[in-house]
Amino acid sequence: MMKNELFERANEFVKRNCNADDYSFAIYSRQSHETRFAQNAITQHIAGTNFHVHFSVSYGNKTGTASINQLNEESLKKMIDTAQQIAVLNQPDTEFIATQSEKKLKEFNNYSEETAKISTEQMVEMIKKCVKNAKEKDAVVSGMTEKHISKYFFTTKNGFESYDCFTSFSHSMTMKKNEVETKVSKGVKNFSDFDIDEQIAQLNSQFDSLHKPKPFEAQKIPVILRPAAVRNLYSFLYWMMNRRDADEGVSPFSNQIGKQFFGENFSLRSITGDSSIFVPSFSSDGIVSEDIDWINKGILKNLPTTRYYADAHNLKDSNPFNFYIDGGDVTEKEMMKKVGKGLIINNFWYIRFIDKKRGELTGMTRDGVLYFEDGEIKHSVNNFRWNEVLNETTQRILSLGKNIQLDAQTRVPSMLIDNFNFVDTSSF
Amino acid sequence: MDYLNIAMECADSMGVDYADIRIQKTHSEMIYLRNLSLKNTSDSVVYGYGIRVLKNGAWGFAHNNIFNKETVIATVKKAYEIACISAQVKNGEGIKLATERSYIASYKTPVKLNPFQVPLKEKVDLMLEVNKTMLNYSLIKQAMFWVQSRTDEKLFASTIGTRLDISTTFVCPYVTATAVTNDDSQSRSFNIGGQAKGWEMLLENNLLEKAPVIAEEAIMKVNADSLGPETRRDLLLDPIHLGLTMHESVGHPTELDRVLGWEADFAGISFATPEKLKNYRYGSKIVNLSGDNTLEGGLATAGFDDDGVPGQKWSIVKDGILNEYGTTRETAPFIGEQQSRGCNRATYYYDFPINRIPNLYLEPGKKTLTPQELISDTEDGVYIEGQGSFSIDQHRENFQFGGDMFWEIKNGKKIRPLKKIIYKSNNPEFWNSVDAICDKRFWKPYGVINCGKGQPMQAGRMTHGASLTRFRNIRVGGSQ
Repeated sequence: MMKNELFERANEFVKRNCNADDYSFAIYSRQSHETRFAQNAITQHIAGTNFHVHFSVSYGNKTGTASINQLNEESLKKMIDTAQQIAVLNQPDTEFIATQSEKKLKEFNNYSEETAKISTEQMVEMIKKCVKNAKEKDAVVSGMTEKHISKYFFTTKNGFESYDCFTSFSHSMTMKKNEVETKVSKGVKNFSDFDIDEQIAQLNSQFDSLHKPKPFEAQKIPVILRPAAVRNLYSFLYWMMNRRDADEGVSPFSNQIGKQFFGENFSLRSITGDSSIFVPSFSSDGIVSEDIDWINKGILKNLPTTRYYADAHNLKDSNPFNFYIDGGDVTEKEMMKKVGKGLIINNFWYIRFIDKKRGELTGMTRDGVLYFEDGEIKHSVNNFRWNEVLNETTQRILSLGKNIQLDAQTRVPSMLIDNFNFVDTSSF
Repeated sequence: MDYLNIAMECADSMGVDYADIRIQKTHSEMIYLRNLSLKNTSDSVVYGYGIRVLKNGAWGFAHNNIFNKETVIATVKKAYEIACISAQVKNGEGIKLATERSYIASYKTPVKLNPFQVPLKEKVDLMLEVNKTMLNYSLIKQAMFWVQSRTDEKLFASTIGTRLDISTTFVCPYVTATAVTNDDSQSRSFNIGGQAKGWEMLLENNLLEKAPVIAEEAIMKVNADSLGPETRRDLLLDPIHLGLTMHESVGHPTELDRVLGWEADFAGISFATPEKLKNYRYGSKIVNLSGDNTLEGGLATAGFDDDGVPGQKWSIVKDGILNEYGTTRETAPFIGEQQSRGCNRATYYYDFPINRIPNLYLEPGKKTLTPQELISDTEDGVYIEGQGSFSIDQHRENFQFGGDMFWEIKNGKKIRPLKKIIYKSNNPEFWNSVDAICDKRFWKPYGVINCGKGQPMQAGRMTHGASLTRFRNIRVGGSQ
């Protein structure tokens, strides 16, 4: 459904001026206000709107793409001519697929007037509160407050058409004093779901629990991963999960669909029914958003599949559009009691692949590590390096906390995982 | 120059402390080929202007892509308004810029073959041929080749009277072959990063000749053994590999904004704090790391930075001692420096310029030394080529790196290929373990085109470089 006059005019211009056999046309605009602060002062403050106009054409199976960031007719004409020239001069694409045809799309409400109306003054007032709080603790705070209004229009010559409008607000802050540093962040699509006082209270709670870290040797030990750590760790699954890579033998998921490849306490989905989380009407190049289980109780159910690969292998196309891990009802206190001793991890940092075929990753801890014993937090400890195989960690999940919203795309729980593989200590 | 003057006159009339405007047109081309399928052949133009206003010791930045007098003036006013609000949250008097004189100058990357004028067919035919050559090997199941070409045209003006006309170009090819067996898959890449050159860069590197070597080494690697648990061994690290390690373990920790804590919420801070300047032993006595934004072919070589400060060369680590940081007009005064080293760069017109790593490289060894002599002199070690896994903490002290190709060295000889090798080290252990650097004949650059930093994230560019270097007694082993 067309809802933007500017986009509609551009679309009409493209229809009139493109002579290619097929085309897709996308306009993405984002109006942003981004305020960055560090060491108790605003350091960067940006406002503006970005446009990305993207046009792909084909003559037979020869393709070309051009993109610009202007919507005037002269620029659009140049964009059309450039894409067409590339396609004419190009070599054929051996894996060509026609653009998406007309689809019946569900409408999802991703727009919040309350978010759209957040003023510069409101954003600065929130930062003032954070700075005041930090100064009261004789600490320094750094972070970022941002709001965005995004519009995405996508159409094809074959009749696909969609228009999505999103709002988002997010706020992050790291508070530091001597050896203690910790961070909280939250993103929402509706500003009414955000409470700065609640965020400051959570930051203070984490900050107050941390002290000068005591040395602790790297070892295999139970961990409680707080939700930010869970997001950072398991979001790597979306980097790894691809149907074609699995079939070609370059990912850990080769021949694993339908099998218990993960632990039975682990379920990962993209869902349409949670009103606090973004659901675009489509993703990728016209794949319709619908509920999909990627992993259900440890069984690998689906892998993201492009339109070309789905068509060539008689599969259903699919693409992740939000990140939802099923939670449980176990509290952090109960998790601590369940294992004799272990570590609480606030967050991970700099996670990278070691071995893509095996799904082995490395990373560091960040934002504070706590040692617990006999159901009680005892003290802070140093940071660690870990090396882990992702699916194997899920086989060691002992308990799940309630899942919570971390940002506008993500809802994940805390996790108690046995024998997490720390391989080195950090010098701080 | 009209819009430049309109913006600066407007800013002056509003009584700003300082303002600048950067009109920037970014033209890029991406060609991406995977298993003979042209996944993407695209041409992109991003055009607009960003206006930075300093008022009452605080910044405001507004950007726009609409070019008319009214919109330019409105954008200046928006930046001014934001700066005034930002000034409500500052430390003391806020930001003071380092001294700089005005310049009227231009700069253009020397380009022999304009990448945008080389016929598309010529480019794609080369890429297809490289792809076909690699796929002729039965174990090679994935062959990938992408190449990015980009030109940035910038007009810059500031309220101190600077007017700059800058055009930079780079080309960056990336080729990978992935070999697959029943129980493993391993890749080998040609990846020397980007260079501030034209299409001649691809021709100079003769990728058709390299294609079979890449494929054969991918096959060698997938069939290779790993090492057992880590033990201390010597490491011989090639220039491309070292490009990444020096980026992470020297480049980022010596960006002054990180040192000052301005990246604390995201990328992190730095262990290399100001009291360590001129006395901290970062590396052994033969370790000399230079910042050099005049380096020919360097991706941060642009004549001037986005503060209007000219490109310079300076010592970041001198004879092993931490000597100086990479600075901007904004950051330099915080440590008492009178002038900036010219490290302020933005990626697109809509990006706020931030303190970036300069072109940063390890100076070659002063004594004559070839790679073969260095291998012959090594008893028990691993030779690592290219880049693989990399991870470093948020203070830039403790790290773990992999690589793209590994060779075991025993008694002065490369005896077999290896796979899945990682090493762990830290600052200051790592750079202090350097005991030999090959000479300047073997020095090679590596151009980073995707250095992620800042909020909102920007992908910055800079060039590193080194000759083959030996690091003694580092923890090396198989993964886990």
